[in-house]
Amino acid sequence: MASTEFQHDTATHCPYCAFQCGMRLSGPRDAAVVAGDADFPVNKGALCIKGWTAAEALAHPERLLTPLVRDAGGQLVPATWDTALDRVAEGFRKTRTDFGADAVGIFGGGSLTNEKAYLLGKFARVALGTANIDYNGRFCMSSAAAAGIRALGIDRGLPFPLEDIAQAEVILLAGSNVAETMPPIMQYFEAQRANGGVLVVSDPRRTKTAAAADLHLRLTPGTDAALANGLLHLLIRDDLIDHDYIRERTEGFARVRQVAATYWPERVERITGVPEAELLQAARLLGRASAAMILTGRGAEQQAQGVSNVLSFINLALALGKVSRPYSGYGCLTGQGNGQGGREHGQKADQLPGYRLIADPAARQHIAAVWDFPEDELPGPGKSAYELLDSLGPQGGIRALLVLGSNVAVSAPHGNNIRERLESLDFLVVADFFLSETAQLAEVVLPAAQWAEEEGTMTNLEGRVIRRRRAFDPPAGVLTDLELLERLAARLGREQWFTYASPEAVFDELRAASAGGAADYSGITYEKIEANQGVFWPCPSMDHPGTPRLFAYSFPTPSGKARFHPVLHRPAAEEPDEECPLYLTTGRNLAQYQSGTQTRRIAELDAMAPEPLAEINTVTAERYGLVDGDWLTLQTRRGAARVRARLTDDIRPDTVFAPFHWPNEQSANLLTNPALDPISRMPEFKVCAVRIVKE
Amino acid sequence: MLKKERLIVIGNGMAGARFVEELVARDGAEMYDIVMFGEESCGNYNRILLSSVLAGAHRPEDTFINNLSWYEEQGIKLYSGVKAGWIDRMGQSVYAAGGISESYDKLVIATGSTPFLPPVESMHDEDGFLRSGVFSFRTLEDCQAMIDHAATARRAVVIGGGLLGLEAARGLLERHLEVHIAHLGGHLMNGQLDAPAGAMLKETLEDLGLNIHLDKLAVSVTPPFAGAPVGGLKFKDGEELECDMIVVAAGVRPNIDLARQAGLHVQHGIVIQDDLSCRNDRNIYAIGECAQHRGKLFGLVAPLWEQARILAEQLTGENPEASFRGVKLSTKLKVLGVDLAIMGDKDPQTDEDEQVHYSEPARGVYKKLIVRNGRLAGAILLGDGLTAPGVLQAFDRGELLPENRAGLLFPGAGVAARMDVAELPDTAQVCNCNGVTKGRIIQVCQQGQSTLEAVCAATRAGSGCGACKPQVKAIVAFEANRSASQSATAISVIGGKKVAFPTIENAGPSRATVKVSPGSS
Repeated sequence: MASTEFQHDTATHCPYCAFQCGMRLSGPRDAAVVAGDADFPVNKGALCIKGWTAAEALAHPERLLTPLVRDAGGQLVPATWDTALDRVAEGFRKTRTDFGADAVGIFGGGSLTNEKAYLLGKFARVALGTANIDYNGRFCMSSAAAAGIRALGIDRGLPFPLEDIAQAEVILLAGSNVAETMPPIMQYFEAQRANGGVLVVSDPRRTKTAAAADLHLRLTPGTDAALANGLLHLLIRDDLIDHDYIRERTEGFARVRQVAATYWPERVERITGVPEAELLQAARLLGRASAAMILTGRGAEQQAQGVSNVLSFINLALALGKVSRPYSGYGCLTGQGNGQGGREHGQKADQLPGYRLIADPAARQHIAAVWDFPEDELPGPGKSAYELLDSLGPQGGIRALLVLGSNVAVSAPHGNNIRERLESLDFLVVADFFLSETAQLAEVVLPAAQWAEEEGTMTNLEGRVIRRRRAFDPPAGVLTDLELLERLAARLGREQWFTYASPEAVFDELRAASAGGAADYSGITYEKIEANQGVFWPCPSMDHPGTPRLFAYSFPTPSGKARFHPVLHRPAAEEPDEECPLYLTTGRNLAQYQSGTQTRRIAELDAMAPEPLAEINTVTAERYGLVDGDWLTLQTRRGAARVRARLTDDIRPDTVFAPFHWPNEQSANLLTNPALDPISRMPEFKVCAVRIVKE
Repeated sequence: MLKKERLIVIGNGMAGARFVEELVARDGAEMYDIVMFGEESCGNYNRILLSSVLAGAHRPEDTFINNLSWYEEQGIKLYSGVKAGWIDRMGQSVYAAGGISESYDKLVIATGSTPFLPPVESMHDEDGFLRSGVFSFRTLEDCQAMIDHAATARRAVVIGGGLLGLEAARGLLERHLEVHIAHLGGHLMNGQLDAPAGAMLKETLEDLGLNIHLDKLAVSVTPPFAGAPVGGLKFKDGEELECDMIVVAAGVRPNIDLARQAGLHVQHGIVIQDDLSCRNDRNIYAIGECAQHRGKLFGLVAPLWEQARILAEQLTGENPEASFRGVKLSTKLKVLGVDLAIMGDKDPQTDEDEQVHYSEPARGVYKKLIVRNGRLAGAILLGDGLTAPGVLQAFDRGELLPENRAGLLFPGAGVAARMDVAELPDTAQVCNCNGVTKGRIIQVCQQGQSTLEAVCAATRAGSGCGACKPQVKAIVAFEANRSASQSATAISVIGGKKVAFPTIENAGPSRATVKVSPGSS
């Protein structure tokens, strides 16, 4: 095609993280030109290398351009859409007939647009009638979400716009390495420091983010709640808490105060490994600032006590009297592209659109009315992500699975078990644009459109609903996920509930479904988003401007007050011992994203991060006779992974870090512990016991 | 529903109350009707914080862990301010004054300890109470009385230079008294410290304003008494210190009378087995300072809480096999202005033990490790608060130590300094977000780009987080300078911006001696 056909300059957003950088796309698909969108007020033109190179996936030679079905010989071979969809519909129907509706499961993703996440939830409940739908956001945001709802009555990652960060005097960033995971956000932290602000980072590693901080609390993995309680103890002792705020805006402090009495500095130092002097420094910084923020990331959240950890940080923010004050408060830094919107509209096992609970009779009636579907036919709550995956196969009872926008074979914990479970399915369907490690196990693979080929909305980490726009038509033979779900629903005899003129029509239904819910989108339209560079939810009516800042006058709890929760620190589900003497913590590299399905295929990114580098302290490495660049095996009670040593003094000597972006024998999730948080069902990705085996 | 068993806990202090908390956290209130006896007439508070209360850092109310309403909410029947008087093992009952009688299926004794009062003449009044102006330091009530008295006192003597004595002395110093410590031993904290560490600690404390007297055995409290506070303290060597306040911190004695009267096996403490039950009555358990396990008594909070957790796991069936096998003992001196962490053995026990020490008297730094089979068997760390957590954790976990022991004593000594941009190799990544190397930046400079903006636009450097911009700018300047001066002889270097990271000051052992020697020195 001649390039003259591509005079477009489409404003859309990066496909990767929750920062959702505004970017402009021009040129033809196979030579698309990416530019940062200087007009978009969040990234202001900045992009990281993942964004700059994002368009390379569009015309990648490995891109799936036709459905694949497994033939009699067990090979995945090209097929027509009709053949493929017939097979999927037949597979689901048969499973349902033989084993019941709940025997079909759906696994979604936090990178799906709001429209897709919404429709996938509806598809599960209406087209399949299954209770078992969950998504990979369970592995991402669920602990912060559960804690936010318990303490503040609502789960919106940041209750304030990013620009507030620049005005905060002191920020405590707990377990987040944003300098690598969402680099363009650093402009706000740079601005904060240029304004004289102070940044405190708690992390077992001296990450790029920690290195940019004024104070780095190098805590022992899994001891976040002890750290937060210890800081609270010092704030109470030195009377740096806000008594008026606690009295007027909160409830439950008395008990938390008493729990804090048992976290005196010497004890906290011994648990966390953070020197008393640094604890005191951090407490005084927070306590004396008129504007202070506490932000959490996956480090504190991806633990079997993730909800408790977040609650302990919220306690701190509340005791300081900072939640709802200008340039202050508690927030979590959402990870996945639509990690926020993806958790609001019914993709979760226990949830209906608008952040409603599926077990709530009023919520069911509202949704049933919007969908024009009998309420008593809506299923109840289903299994959470890891439990759903762990139930795959004859024993667990989920015999068929549809995976959309996730690569669970790489991203779920205890990878060996997940692989076995996936292999034990009667029927696996995966929609993706590359043949991911999960897709390789499927019976049917459906080629999906990519981000630059679809219309829809995303909700960024601030709760700002933004527009994803189509710069290119999908390649011939490729459907958008919305089209795919519509066609599949029709084959399952549910056409009347799944006929939409456009993604915008899906969004309009989502708006109606969310009306009156916690995440109320009813006053948000595509037009309004475009006119305002995004709209913050809740936005309950057409004349409502959206809500950049929450909690101004009250909290959306029954009493209108924020709630303290007493939190006790507990050891990790698996602590180091003689057999596995070190902590393992997992995380991300700048040049890779999630399971790497996209980023590992992009040459420039692959060149920057071609293989998993395990960070090992030089002192520890010496004990094992390792030198920089050595290949080694990390071994836990669940599996082994082959990684390369990167020796550094930036990590605690008792801790090894491994990135999880690689598949097969290099997958860090072969090692991780699927111990779940009792409330959020978040697996313990961030702490387990490991040993180093030299090759 | 099964009938609940009856559980009595005697003692509402650090061990008893913690045990009940651990029990309740495991739904123990569903399994047991819980009855508690607490001699002090309040809820439960954190005794660890009392020295901080004395020093005025904590308010008394900040030490409360469970107030009386908590017990009510949990359905626990607490006899507050009631001392258990008698255990009838045959009848499985506990009696107390006022006609109180409670029966048990399981009994937990957590009676703690009492301050040891050495035989000092005239320390007590004619009714056997401590004379006005003389204090023991155990309870919140003691603490409050000391605070009240300190308001008008001028000169205090603390008998005992152990942990508690030093903490009490420091607290009184905060209350603007002239404070003396009279210690029986030849150096302070002789139970935990070797002589050099004790000597250095003495200097450190003297610098804070404390007056320390060693080898002092107090023999009598001197008059005037009548209505007035004490007049002074007299020692065996004939010396006398005038004072109007005396604090006795000469150690503690386990409270075992109740157990002894009940016929339980007691020696120094109530003798317990690994499952924390008494030797001769499996329905009775003892935890905390009153218990004696494998010949040892425990006075620190960590082993007490460990016992509390283990017993709760056992009695709730969470882990019926849970057993106590002793713990590694470590503690820190809670004295403002002094960093002292101690753990395990203070001296080598055999010729095989390796001893590493580092001493820097001018700064009051003393570090000593006792290494046994490659693991830490003990340590003293004085004057270095930043090293303590790592060493404590290595000790707690029994970690194999690095071959180079200095790695433990001087963490961070190996951290490389940031390089000047001039020294960076061309392959060094400058912009991490976009993977731009120094070589690539120089390349575009040589292609004619000369401003930061132009170089960034051409390379994408600085377009992510922006943190590298100062460095990119420095490289651009460096390159401009280099090309401008290529014909000249001198090359001037414009350094990259040094970023102020926290560094370990005086991290290397260069200014002082490090001795590594096998066996005791």
